[in-house]
Amino acid sequence: MCLDIPHALLRKKFPVSVRREFADRRRIAREGTLGYSACIDIGGTFTDLVVHEHGKGLRIFKSPSTPGEFERGFIDVLALAAGHYGHPLRAFLGNLDRLVHGTTVSTNALVEGKVAAVGLICNQGHPDVLTLREAPRKRAFNWKLDFPEPFVPRNRTFEVQGRIDSLGNEVTPLSDKDVRDAVAYLKRCEVQAIAVCLLWSIVNGAHERRVKEIVAAEWPGIPVVISHELNPIPREYRRTISTAIDASLHPIVSAYTGKLEATLRKEGFTNELLIGTCVGGMMPPDEIVRRPIYSVMSGPTLAPIAALNLTKEPDVIVIDMGGTTFDVSAIRDRQLVVTPEAMIGQDMLGIPKVDVRSIGAGGGSIAWVDVGGLLKVGPRSAGARPGPACYGTGGTEPTVTDSNVVLGIIDPDYFLGGRMKLNRGAAERAVRKIADQLGIGLVEAAYAIHTTSNHNMIAAIEDITVNEGIDPRDSYLVSGGGATACHIGEMVNILGLKRFMVPTFAAGLSAYGGLISDVRWEETATLHSDNRAFAVDRVNALVRDLKVRGDAFLARSRIPASKRRYEFSFQGRYEYQSWEIEVPFAFPPRGLKKGDVAKLAASFHLMHERIYTIKDEGEVVEMTTWKVRAIGDIGGAGRQGTQRKAQRTPAKPKSRRKVYIRAKGGMVSLPVFDGGAFGSGVKIAGPAVVEEETTTFLLLPGQTARTDKFGNYLVVCR
Amino acid sequence: MVAKAGRRTKVAARRKAAKIDPLLMAVLSSRLEAIIREMSNTVMKASRSAVIKNARDMSCGLLTYDHRLICVEEAMPIHVSALDLTTRPITELFDDVREGDAFFNNSPYLGVTHHADMTLCTPVFLDGEPLFWTLSRSHHADVGAPEPSTYLPYAAEVYQEGVHFPCVRIQRDYQDIADVVRIGLHKIRVPKIWYGDFKAQVGACRIGERRLKELAKRYGTATVKAFVEEWMDYGKRRAIAAIRQLKAGTYTYQTAHDPVPGVADTGIPIKAVVTIDPRKGKITVDLRDNPDCVPGGINLSEATATGSCLIGVFYNLDPSIPHNAGSASRVKVLLRDGCVVGRPTFPAGTSVATTNVNDRLINAVQCAFSRMGEPFGLAEGGGDFSAGLGVIAGVESRKGRPFPYVNQLCVGLSGGPGLYGHDGWLTYEAPNGGGVLVLDSIEIDESMYPVLLEERRIAKDSMGCGHWNGAPATAGAYRSLSGDMTVAYCSDGDTNVAKGVLKGIAAAPAGNWRRGRNGQTEQLPSFHIAKLKEGEAIIYRSCAGGGYGDPTKREPAAVARDVNRYWLDADRAEPIYKVALKKAANGVDVEVDKARTASLRAG
Repeated sequence: MCLDIPHALLRKKFPVSVRREFADRRRIAREGTLGYSACIDIGGTFTDLVVHEHGKGLRIFKSPSTPGEFERGFIDVLALAAGHYGHPLRAFLGNLDRLVHGTTVSTNALVEGKVAAVGLICNQGHPDVLTLREAPRKRAFNWKLDFPEPFVPRNRTFEVQGRIDSLGNEVTPLSDKDVRDAVAYLKRCEVQAIAVCLLWSIVNGAHERRVKEIVAAEWPGIPVVISHELNPIPREYRRTISTAIDASLHPIVSAYTGKLEATLRKEGFTNELLIGTCVGGMMPPDEIVRRPIYSVMSGPTLAPIAALNLTKEPDVIVIDMGGTTFDVSAIRDRQLVVTPEAMIGQDMLGIPKVDVRSIGAGGGSIAWVDVGGLLKVGPRSAGARPGPACYGTGGTEPTVTDSNVVLGIIDPDYFLGGRMKLNRGAAERAVRKIADQLGIGLVEAAYAIHTTSNHNMIAAIEDITVNEGIDPRDSYLVSGGGATACHIGEMVNILGLKRFMVPTFAAGLSAYGGLISDVRWEETATLHSDNRAFAVDRVNALVRDLKVRGDAFLARSRIPASKRRYEFSFQGRYEYQSWEIEVPFAFPPRGLKKGDVAKLAASFHLMHERIYTIKDEGEVVEMTTWKVRAIGDIGGAGRQGTQRKAQRTPAKPKSRRKVYIRAKGGMVSLPVFDGGAFGSGVKIAGPAVVEEETTTFLLLPGQTARTDKFGNYLVVCR
Repeated sequence: MVAKAGRRTKVAARRKAAKIDPLLMAVLSSRLEAIIREMSNTVMKASRSAVIKNARDMSCGLLTYDHRLICVEEAMPIHVSALDLTTRPITELFDDVREGDAFFNNSPYLGVTHHADMTLCTPVFLDGEPLFWTLSRSHHADVGAPEPSTYLPYAAEVYQEGVHFPCVRIQRDYQDIADVVRIGLHKIRVPKIWYGDFKAQVGACRIGERRLKELAKRYGTATVKAFVEEWMDYGKRRAIAAIRQLKAGTYTYQTAHDPVPGVADTGIPIKAVVTIDPRKGKITVDLRDNPDCVPGGINLSEATATGSCLIGVFYNLDPSIPHNAGSASRVKVLLRDGCVVGRPTFPAGTSVATTNVNDRLINAVQCAFSRMGEPFGLAEGGGDFSAGLGVIAGVESRKGRPFPYVNQLCVGLSGGPGLYGHDGWLTYEAPNGGGVLVLDSIEIDESMYPVLLEERRIAKDSMGCGHWNGAPATAGAYRSLSGDMTVAYCSDGDTNVAKGVLKGIAAAPAGNWRRGRNGQTEQLPSFHIAKLKEGEAIIYRSCAGGGYGDPTKREPAAVARDVNRYWLDADRAEPIYKVALKKAANGVDVEVDKARTASLRAG
């Protein structure tokens, strides 16, 4: 913020790229160093930081999350890094040119139902859009299920008179009185935000804008989101639900980013803060505050981006087991999988999102025995507080991490490189409870917890592969997350995978993704046209307007002009179809010409044939919405890690310890290696344990790991 | 499911199972489901008729070449529960089936459900051998009947129905046979839409064919064949295991379709006699003691009568049982020739065979299970179909050159039945649909057709009450924005409502009304084509579902929730449920008055 004044002055004379370079030079002259970029990903249990030291490489830091005052954990982990690089915190922050943040604040709030209470204002006659949805999907023969509750309860929904038709004509004028009554009612209900979604606002937004004015006048300060400004797409359920979710996140996300920025500025961070988004990019905090729905799943979405940069394999399963959740995503044919119909709980999100699926399975997941005597693990987690029993921070319930301590997989004296001492006795006492309930031995109980947790995670992997008709054995796998490497060996054996990778900074996979991801903005606008009478001028004006807005976004994000790129697409369909397909097109600097419509139609026919095997070139092609994606390249693709020297001598274990190996029938003495000291080309044959500061990797019999030039472990299974 | 695959008795079977390991079994079964999902997605997204593209009134399936159903998940139950009847005529009528062929059939006398469910089947050859059928069935908006609708309750004979394609070859070498296609183009209203829908079906079947070939390439044809046998066997084992959980006996349930003037003036009683033999793992459904065919379009086809018995049974069994030929082999269906719920006698009309009487039949079968007492069976579900599913027709003249339109809306689904442990499913549609239809987006309907959907809301106090309620009905109103419009519908449930079981209460009736330009409303006949002038609106209320079990046992908090969500009038809580309510502190919501409720229920 303190750069505002010099920037304002500079803006008059120079383009952004030059200004940027000036700023860099001034800083370098002042500080005498090249500086750093960093990404922080806050999980339920740990806060991960990956730092890129410009010209040198990457490093990962980890520190416990601090729920309730997350910003303390944020600063803790930055202080840890500052110490490592030998700077006081203030100087280190001054040297950070960019700080990216992946946050689960909005996802957690939605999953736990802790979002702000929303009131919905809708058309007279249509109060049940959020209940009826598009008829929720169910399996045809299953009746043993309850119809899902609406995101906004019916008694927080208020109908107002006023109606626009599909052509944008006003059928019934808006009743100002109804709107004022709605506000009074919702005030009485003490809602914390108001969502407004009226039919056909995407064609004529006058009624929605008027509602917003009245709400602002009647109840100043209450956040109000109107649908055609947030998400101008047809289909009232999708637009309404996205508007309601966005409204419900306003208070939370703006409080969160406000607090975060204030803390960072106070500690001396002067440069750019960016937040990860659900579309696989980053946005400045003020943009996220404006459209908080884009922060849903912001952290986990960065993991597949990381994997894309770590391997050249075409099809990859990306997993990330943290303390609280297990996230799975997939790369298909080198592309992130984006779904327009992403679900959050029982509802659609209403906006497109990178497909990442989460289950409650992590190191902190609590083991319990159900009434039928069956062992269950999760979804409840001990989280960061009280934490697993072995943390000695008040937890007494047995968790997956406790079982790993009992099994000898985790060394209580070398957790986080020895910075956090674990209590083996506490772990044993907790696991003993399960052993007693099941009537088995301590180690058997610990293994039962370990393998049950593995099967839960396998089910999640199958959900995104097998259930989508993909054989997981055809994919490569990248294993991220601090806790995953204790489990991955058994999981790949059960799944039958032959190869996988454990990156050296696996524990901060999402944070790494944040360091290499692009700055991204996308927006759509509705304009109905077709190839019979192509409205070339209106389309040009609309696409140009979107592009100008995207460009302004990139300017605000301080992306130099040479690093900006734009992607254009339209949603098209044949006449009388109602589902559109997305078709990319080239938008020349001077705009489309009348004749270019033939090219647009040809691209549409081709895409239709590719997706559905059929096309109909004699048919009218309708174009309904237009999308511009503005992308700012921050040069992340080159950030690969620290190059390691080739090591020709075989690695020597630093110690041996007893670890439970199922195939060997019990506790066996295994060599323990210090992975941090490995050069490239080191080969380790399982069974063995490799320890890094932030992760412990258990290699099972038949699995052989080899380090690549950045110290990542490439594993082959026999 | 994986664990049970290992439990084998026969040595030969054990050897076979060894080839298909549990993970491969899971992968291949999911893979086939995914192929069907992709086929269904193609039909839905590429079609032009609203009822297909929006409401999802279509299904895809995979069968073995010898007509055994492999997989139907995600489909409408009534479309796919007797699919073998649809493919069988192909191999009976043709001895020259080859790769690149496609067969088109909508004849209820050749195994199809009714004339609107035009069905495309393509053979799939692997290594030169015909091994599978891919099948796509779509409910076309128009089939060229005398009236602009596919539901013709008064059409007593096939001669009053639309065009019939009696299982004809429509593609050879992957190309249309133009003279067969021309029959459709000349006989069906809005032929471009019909042809677009047909092409979407071609796309779906060809995608299925391509994916099966990829699968065979990846795993080997022998493995795929071995899997199919294992899969059928698995379905059979699962069905037997589920039937073993039921009580032995013969259970009868009777319900009745509403009167249809001139066709069935006093209604049509429908009876299902269900015999359960847990020891043999077998269920028999006997429909032979039912009335003869009626002189109208509401007779069932053989495909719907057979399918509905399977549906009624499987609604009561574990839903994770695969619905394939293996599990279906455990249900025996007894039909009679010339029966309204049997094999119709040519040329009896069956244009309404998938809904009305058919929905009553499914109800009769599913409710028979409730005769075993709690926790078995379901209540009656709300039937089809009010003007909320009306077929609208008229001329759009707001956008330049006027053009005619005919299409079915799907804006008012009926409510599902209560059952032990769960209230009915709100977006149920009707017994035949399994709750898989998609509710139309109002904006999509209004952008395609010149209608204004004034209202669509959950109808208060409509559901059948019980320990577990049926789901409420949907009520609404719409009108034309461009001249006159006809609305065709066959509203069963205006007279005979969905009944409750085991002390559960019946639901409110359905109904349809016309609102004149002066604002006055009048109730319309139940089976009708309403001719609305511009400015007049049609008002509808769908059927609600019946309740299950004693309402005075309902969880009091659930009663308070029903009031707070405007499903139940607060005044009805005490008389029906013996639950006392009071205003909450915010003065808006209600909450349970625990002390008074306890005393009400004690007395």
